[in-house]
Formats: sequence, C-alpha cells, structure tokens
Amino acid sequence: MLRVVKRQEPLKGGTPLIVVGALALSLGISMLLLAAQGKPAPRGLFLLWDGAFAHVHSLEDTVLKAIPLYLCSLGVAVAFRMQVWNIGAEGQFALGAIGATWAALHFPDLPAPLLLPLMFACAGVAGGVWALVPALLRLRLRVNEIISTLMLNYIGILLLDYLVYGPWKDPTSFGFPLTREFSPAAQIGRMIGRIHWGILLCAAVGLALAVFLKRTRTGFEIMAGGAGARAARYAHMPYGFLVGLVMVLCGVASGWAGSLEVSATLGRLQPSIMAGYGYTAIVVAWLARLRITHIAFYAFLLAGFRVGVENLQLELQVPHAFGGIMEGLILLSVLAGQFFQNYRFRRAEG
Amino acid sequence: MRKFIVGIMAAALLGLLLAGCSSEPQKEAPKAETSKATEQAAEQATPEAKPEGAETKVGFIYVSPIGDAGWSYAHDLGRKAVEAMDGVTTSYVEAVPEGPDAERVITNMARKGYKVIFTTSFGYMDPTIKVAKEFPDTVFMHCSGFKKSANVGNYFGRMYQARYLSGIVAGAMTKTKKLGYVAAFPIPEVIRGINAFTLGVQSVAPDAEVRVVWSKTWYDPATEKEAAKSLLDVGCDVIAQHQDSPGPQEAAQEKGVYSVGYDTDMSAFAPKSHLTAPIWNWGPFYTHVVKSVMDGSWKSESVWPGMEEGIVDLAPYGPMVPQDVRDKVEDARRKIVSGQFKVFAGPVKDQKGEVKVPEGAVAGDEQLLGMTWFVEGVIGSTE
Amino acid sequence: MLELALPILAATVQSGTPILYATLGEMLTERSGVLNLGVEGMMIIGALAAFVVTGATGSPWLGFLAAGAAGALLGALHALACLVFQGNQVVSGLALTIFGVGLADFLGTPFIGTTVPGFDKLSVPLLSALPVFGDIFFRQDALVYVSYVMPLVFWLTMRRTSLGLAVDAAGEHPAAASAAGLDPVALRWFGVVGGGFLVGLGGAYLSLAYTHLWTSGMTAGRGWIAVALVIFAFWRPGRAVFGAYLFGGIMAFQLRLQAMGADLPSSLLLMLPYGLTVFVLAASSARGGGVGAPRGLGVNIEPQE
Repeated sequence: MLRVVKRQEPLKGGTPLIVVGALALSLGISMLLLAAQGKPAPRGLFLLWDGAFAHVHSLEDTVLKAIPLYLCSLGVAVAFRMQVWNIGAEGQFALGAIGATWAALHFPDLPAPLLLPLMFACAGVAGGVWALVPALLRLRLRVNEIISTLMLNYIGILLLDYLVYGPWKDPTSFGFPLTREFSPAAQIGRMIGRIHWGILLCAAVGLALAVFLKRTRTGFEIMAGGAGARAARYAHMPYGFLVGLVMVLCGVASGWAGSLEVSATLGRLQPSIMAGYGYTAIVVAWLARLRITHIAFYAFLLAGFRVGVENLQLELQVPHAFGGIMEGLILLSVLAGQFFQNYRFRRAEG
Repeated sequence: MRKFIVGIMAAALLGLLLAGCSSEPQKEAPKAETSKATEQAAEQATPEAKPEGAETKVGFIYVSPIGDAGWSYAHDLGRKAVEAMDGVTTSYVEAVPEGPDAERVITNMARKGYKVIFTTSFGYMDPTIKVAKEFPDTVFMHCSGFKKSANVGNYFGRMYQARYLSGIVAGAMTKTKKLGYVAAFPIPEVIRGINAFTLGVQSVAPDAEVRVVWSKTWYDPATEKEAAKSLLDVGCDVIAQHQDSPGPQEAAQEKGVYSVGYDTDMSAFAPKSHLTAPIWNWGPFYTHVVKSVMDGSWKSESVWPGMEEGIVDLAPYGPMVPQDVRDKVEDARRKIVSGQFKVFAGPVKDQKGEVKVPEGAVAGDEQLLGMTWFVEGVIGSTE
Repeated sequence: MLELALPILAATVQSGTPILYATLGEMLTERSGVLNLGVEGMMIIGALAAFVVTGATGSPWLGFLAAGAAGALLGALHALACLVFQGNQVVSGLALTIFGVGLADFLGTPFIGTTVPGFDKLSVPLLSALPVFGDIFFRQDALVYVSYVMPLVFWLTMRRTSLGLAVDAAGEHPAAASAAGLDPVALRWFGVVGGGFLVGLGGAYLSLAYTHLWTSGMTAGRGWIAVALVIFAFWRPGRAVFGAYLFGGIMAFQLRLQAMGADLPSSLLLMLPYGLTVFVLAASSARGGGVGAPRGLGVNIEPQE
C-alpha cells in the first residue's frame, strides 16, 4: 500500500516539471482517444502545437485570445486572495463592454485621445459598480457572493441583449442585433502585427496589481485577508472596505477586458462577445494558484489550447466537443500534478 | 481498499471514454477509404499534378455544433453533398462564436488553401469581408447577410415561401383560430418566417391570430417545450416553431393538437400531430456554387433562391391533412414557383394597422432582409 | 383566473423538478464539505446516460438509474482530484463541467434526432381528484412523485441517522470528526459520489420526462442554477424545494406572460428569475434567517502522517 506524505518543503523548482508532466499525461490520454477514433494521434499533437504556437500568426491569435482572459483572471485572482468568491467576471465583462459602447455611441465625434480614456472610464465604472453590488449585498445583507455574482452574470448578459436588440440596435443592420460600428476614434489600433495596443494595458494592469499587492500595506492586507474578518481586526483597514476594494478591482479589470473586445477586436457591440472568458478566468486564476505573476503564463496556455484545437477540427474533422474533453483532462491532470509539489507517496510498512 | 475503488472507477471512466470513441471509426472508416481512393484515382489520372493541387478544398464554418440537429446540421448535410463531388474535399469548424474567433477561423481556413469557404451565420458577415481582402484568390460565400465584395458573395434561401405554405396547412386545421409560434430570437429571419406563416394562415382563416413566445434559446428542448405549453394554455391549437429542437412538437402531441416542425422532417417525434415542416435543402445549391468556382464561372453576387431551386421545401404531410388542403397548398406552391404569386404582396399591414406594403406593390428584398415588424394578426413583442 | 393559474403552477412543479434533484445532490456534496462546480457536467452526462440506456433496454427506470450511476462516476472523478490528489475544488469542478459537457456532446452525436419511451403523465388515483392540489401536484409523471419524497428522505437521513450526522461532521469539522473515530475522507467520498448520483437523476428528468429527446447542451445552465440554489437554500432541503419551485415558477410565468400577449421585451422578462432569486435571498438573509456554509466547505483534508 502507498501512503500520502507531506513534503517537508515544497518540491524545489517543481512547478515547471509538474506542469510539463501533467501536460504530457493529459496529451497522452487525448492522443489515445484520437487513436481510438482512427485518427493519426501524433499528427493531432503536431496540429495542436502548429495551430497555437508554431507560427507568427498563430502566436498572434493566441495572444489576442489571451488578452481578455488575462485581464479577467487578474481580477478574479485578487478577489479570491481575499476569499471573496467572485464568479461574476463574466457579467462585469458584459457591463464593461456596455459602458465602453455607451461612450462610443454617445460621443462619436470626440478625438481618440479623449474618447478612448472616456470609454475605459465608463467601462471601469460600469464593471466596478456591477461588482460592488454583490460586495454591498454581502456586507450589508449577508448575501453569499457566489449566488449574487452568478445571478448578476445572467442579468448583465440579458441587459446587453436588451440593448442590442432594442435601443442600441443599428438602424442599418437590417434588424440584426448589433450596434453601429464605432467611429475610428473609438477603435483601438494594432501595435505589432495583428496585436492591438490593449496588450500594453494588460502589462500595465498586471504590473500595477503586482506592485500594489507586494509593496503597499493595503495590498499586504489583501494578501493576508484570506484569513477572513478575524485577522482583519488587527489591520488598519476595515474588512468591509477591503472586500469592496477587491470586488471593484475585479470589476474594473473585467470591464476593461470587455471594452477591449468591443473597441479593439470588433468595433461594435454584439451578443457574441460573450465567449465565457469570465468563467475560464476562474480556471486560469486557480491554475496560477492566485499568483499574479503566473497568470500570464496560464492565460497564454489556455488561449493557445483553444486556438490550437480549431486546427485539429479543421484538419482531422475531430468534433468541437473533443476540445472540451481534452481541456477538462488537462485541467484535471495539472491539478492532480500540483499535488506532487507538496506531497509524495511513500510505501507504507505492513 | 479506497485506492482500489479509485482505481476501478478511473478505469471504468476511461473505458467508457474509449468505448464511446471506438464507435466512431466504423462510421469514419469507409469515408477515409473513399477519399484515399479518390486521391489515388486523381494521382493516376494526372501523374504530374500533386494530389493537393488536384483536390479543391471547400470549408464550412458553423455557429453551433452539428449536434444541434437544426440549422448547422442542415448546412452539414449540404456539405456532405459537396464532399461526394469528384475532386473535392471538405472540412468544417463547428461552434465558432461570431466575434473575433470567427475572423481567426476564417483566416486559418483561407491560409490553408481552402478554395471556397462558406460562412453560415449572419454574424460572420464583417469578419468574412475583412478576411476576404487578404485572400483575393479565395471565394467566400456568406449566408444570410447583405454585404459582398470582389471575392465575397452572399446567399440565403427564401424559407418564408415554405413558411407561407405551412401556414396554409395550419390555418386549415385550426379550430380555435388561435395558433402558437415558439420562436428563438427576434432577428429578421425569424420575424419574416412568423409573418409569412401568419399570411399563409390568414389566406384560409382571415380572422385567425398567431401568438408568439420567444424562448431566447436555439436548442433547449425543455424550455422550448414549456414555451409551447404556455401557448397551448392560452387556447392555441396549432403550434409552429422556429427552434432547432422538436420540444414544441412533443408538447403539441401530448395535448392532442397539431404542430408544424422546422429545419428537417420532425414527424418521428410527434407522428400524431406533425402536419408538415418547412425544411432546408442546401445540397443542390452548394454543389452548384462549388462547380461554378471550379469551372471559373463564379461571379460575386447576392443570390436568394427559393422553392423554384428546391433550396426550401415542405416535409411530407401527416396523414391527418385532408386532400383539399393539400390541393390548396400545391396550388399555392405552383404559383410561388412560377413567380405568379409573391408572399409579401400588398396590402400588408403591421400590428398597429399601419400599411407597410401598399396595395399593388411587393416587398423588395431589402425590406424582407430588414424586417423588424409583425404583420397584423400576430400577437407578441418584436424585442 | 384559476384556469390560468393552475397550468402555471403545474408547470412550476415540472420545471422545478430537474433543478430540485440537482440542488439536493449538490447539497449533499457540500454538506460533506466538498464544493463541486461540476453540476452542469454531471447533469448532462446523466441526461445522456438515461437516454441511451432507456433506448437500449426499453426501460426508463433503468435509464433513470443509469443517469445516477453516470453522475456518480463523474462525481468520483471530482473526489479523486480533490480527496486523493488534494486538488483545488473550484478548478476541479469547473474542469468537470468542461469535460462533462464535451463528453456528452461527443458521445451523444449518434442519438440526435431519435426518441425513447420515457416517463409520461400518470395521474395518482384519488389524490388527483383533489381540487386545485390534484391538478398541480398529482397529474405529473413518476419522476416528479419520486422528487416529492426525495427532500423528505434527505432531511430524515441527515437529521435522524448516524450516517447523516457523520456527513455533516465531515463537512463542519473534519478534524473533530476524525478524533471521534469517523473517517472524514470516506464520508466525503460518500457525499461527492452520492451527490453526483442525485445530480445525474436531475439530468435524466430532462431527457426522459420533461422531453423524450437528446440534444447537446440540453441542460442549458440548469446545473449552475442548482449550485446557486444550494446557497439560496442555506443548505437545507426544505428551502431547496422552495428555491427550485420559485425559479421554475418564474420561468413558466414569464413564458405565459408572453403567450398572453404582454408587449414587453423578452430580455427584460427573462431577468425576472435571476433578479428575484437574489432579492428573496437578500430579504431572508436580512431577516437573520441566513445560515453559513458548512465550515469545512471547500477546504481539503490534509493527509495525516
């Protein structure tokens, strides 16, 4: 029999080893599944790599997909650090898109240097307020934030639906649920290749958050805030304020992700921007074990996987659902792999 | 002991997975062989040409999984018809969201040398136009939109003609003069279908009303069935639908009233109530387009074929549809096919009684494409 | 008035039933101390298993049990990740949803466009003749009747049996439970696998009773609603019934509002169930009726040396 034993110290330099090992394991199982369908498994693996990382254009695709995911994950990670179980990034993303669109539609004639900051301000406020509601509900009425953020996700998406099917519908869209295309001033251009300037925003937000959490007292209290209201008694900030703060931070970050989607990649608001980034962000944040500096890697990895799987569909006619199966397997094995960082199996005597 | 249980369960799960997968190859294998065979044949025929150059690659992009049994499924049947052509291979990507993801998928297809790319949802319009600029040698065909460019054409089918015919059947069979319509999303295609259905109903039952419930889903059978039941509760005795699942059909059969399906023949789900269904048949059109690209006769245009091309049709009637109703429908069908009769010929009024198409006029394609109002006799909101 | 209200209430029971099964399942899992966000995945696998097994054997009851078994199997995967490999419960649950939805879609493709016998309406003699109550509660299908018993059995088990008390102990304070000679890890296995079984049954309701069909994505978010309703119910089965019917009722109501010809944007009508859920929760929490989660919820049990 084997027994589980906790390591004295976490496995040194183990993280890369574990990630690679877990990836290898889950990809191995996926290949078995491919082979069971009569598809060439090694070629499948190559296609996955080829579609996600092997070319400049595929790297661009992956980065573009990782950008909104990254911003949402940052916000989610900060909230989870405080043990605030905010699963509302999806709704905050929607509200951010709505806020930015409101500014873009109402002030189309402003020059870009004024309009873009205004759009981001509106997106931040909309996303932030949408996140503040569950915070207040929790603090004032003791409403569990998992349920309120989840419900607000549905409501936020329906609000977006209402706007694009109703008041904001483009009169020239032949009745389809789209807003007018934004004026050029409201659209963020490309920086390098097809990657837009939004990546700078990602870098700035990531850096600012890392510095804030590591170097400021408030940040330190958030990091320690996981211990809950009891520990916060010794802090100089009221616990309630910190809960509100992390929620708003998440709302702003997710809101900005939403505004980047409408402003940089689509140039208008439409229901299909809701691609589930807010939920995937939870996975990314936890895979990174809530460490701000690790989030970029996992966001990039997951985005790459989603992009690469399309290649598999196209070349091998593997159904879309197969991507979900593989992703689930990868997540589960990375998760199980992290176990070996802190534990090991030992042969038990007797 | 616990370890043992864990092991068993993990093994069982893996077994389940593998078992599920291994059922696939039986279906896939013959196809793989035939495509190999055609490849070999192509090689033998033109020994100089590379097999890749010999095969025309045709790509399809679907908005939902083919498993939705509806819209994308119907397009995929069309793809299979193309696949059966000589010298053509096809592939597809399913469940592609209409945002930035669509642009990426279309680009990748074009980059991989696909010669013809069908993008089969309205939301792919702007991405298609955008990508087409970078790939001038590729032909793009966008479904249900209105934009075109040098190498982008658009197409759609006049489903509303078949809707009108199904309305005649429904109007002849209703007793309460109240009909229910379970609809997915308030977009012009759906609204146009409701209007055409209503006009068909009114052609035989002038004072009948059509009540609309929006489910806001494309494939949630439980909600769609519930929506149909809500219509039955207010006295509707024929249920029509613009949904991909047969949920509403079941509701009608349980209540013992009639129903009209959509997309494909849904009679298997409700044999006692299924009157007929307006259905898609993309195959002939898709093979026609691919052929014209291969022989160089393809031109960028907006094509909107209807019943005369067989792109839309009615499913076989249920046994309860009497002969005189069938005759009436066949008569209308003949007039539509010959162009003698137009569904949206004036006078057509909207819900408020305002004249939208004046007497003697016929609604143009532009007006049909952007239809956002209900005709008189429809009860419901267009939002 | 009554003619309109009765169908809405009867529809309420029906649309609340699949959510009720799933809510009770997740409740059992959470009371043992494990958070499982994979409800959506387990539910849809249950729906598929029910459909396939019923089609193969012709017996809806076997299909119903198969749904439970499939849900339990997926639950075991979660238990493996969290209880053996000490994985984070949130990630594992989300991964399970992604995996389950993908797997069901993948395996279910051949069954699209087919139909199976399933459960039909079955009036209960005598009871169905009751005025009002009979119409609402006793002209339903067999699985609805099973769901009436379920919360009661749940409550009795948790309250009156040593097993139930032990499960609660594992959820509240695993260390103390361990000190008292219980095996909290084994109890959590029971909670996760048993919960998965109930969630799978909820899926069966969708493909065997509510409709007799299979399509991919047919749970359409009901698993997530169940996760929310467990919290809404303060982890108590009685309130789960209330929550599931409240949610189902508003859904049925908004459709009928449309059918009656209300000229309101459907997006706004659809917000009703979600908004009202938060509102009712806020109201009952504000009155001090709220109960916290099991104290050990979401925290893994460290292996002992």
